[in-house]
Amino acid sequence: MQLIGDIFFLSGTIFLFLGALGLIRMPDVYNRIQAGTKAVTLGSILTLMGIFFYFPQWWGHLCLIILFLLFTNPVSSSALARAFYRNGISVWTKTK
Amino acid sequence: MQRWTTILFLTGLSIVLFAIITPLVLGQSPMLVGKLINASAVNDTGAANLVTAVVLAYRGLDTLGELAILFTAATAIGIILGTTDKTQTTSSPTAGFIVATAAKVLFPLLLVFALYIILHGHLTPGGGFQGGAVLAAAFFLLTLADSGNNIKHKVTQVIEALAGTAFIVLGLVSFALQGVFLQPWLDKGELGSLFSAGSLPLLYLALGLKVGAELANLLSSLANVEK
Repeated sequence: MQLIGDIFFLSGTIFLFLGALGLIRMPDVYNRIQAGTKAVTLGSILTLMGIFFYFPQWWGHLCLIILFLLFTNPVSSSALARAFYRNGISVWTKTK
Repeated sequence: MQRWTTILFLTGLSIVLFAIITPLVLGQSPMLVGKLINASAVNDTGAANLVTAVVLAYRGLDTLGELAILFTAATAIGIILGTTDKTQTTSSPTAGFIVATAAKVLFPLLLVFALYIILHGHLTPGGGFQGGAVLAAAFFLLTLADSGNNIKHKVTQVIEALAGTAFIVLGLVSFALQGVFLQPWLDKGELGSLFSAGSLPLLYLALGLKVGAELANLLSSLANVEK
């Protein structure tokens, strides 16, 4: 039971780390938003699911937190992306 | 160049912090005040959250000073930026469909959360300042989502004034009853229940409303200037 939780923790942490790495390594602001939203949302959800395997009695709280994350994280990133786009920040177009 | 100065600064900072931390024994507080408060705060105030006991009971006057600082800052910003109610430029872009919809859903949740933090300040981490900040954010989210929907400065100013007065009146009642300003009064109640810790939740409620109204006022003046 706890081993499954640990696997979830590990995979969640890897996704969180990749999100943080993407924030530094991605070439333009829109790509960074991608990293900051998708990877970090998935990483947080996996970590919370890992908590479920340690404390199954908290499933209600965890479901609510996951729903809240799924709702607010895309909204805030879309607001950021919209603000950048309206202020005329151009998209990175270089390809190797 | 800037990178090297940053690295130099961080190295120096870590050396200073290390020099401060090394002589301290882990798990033992060199301060006697902390032990004293840990031992006697629950009996003195009836608050389960000892931080609240310190902030509102032992150092209530200090909190009143913090309120004065916040009030001064908010007033100064209000004077500099002015109450720009007349300059309603309608050219500002809307926040968009997604944010506007999300704000409608999030606003009641934020309101409940802010009141929860304020009213449970004597039980769980949080309290007037933190809850007030969330309260201000809730109202500012509405302003952000719908740029026509401005925070009414008159209303927030009245709430702020009433809440500030309530804080001082609570202190004065304690002065009249016990001879000490801002001393906790009322029944302490059962430790850990919602209606406990005497007058501390009332003080935090006044504090939360004041901070919330003040910050909402400040944010909306800033938003008006941005337009």
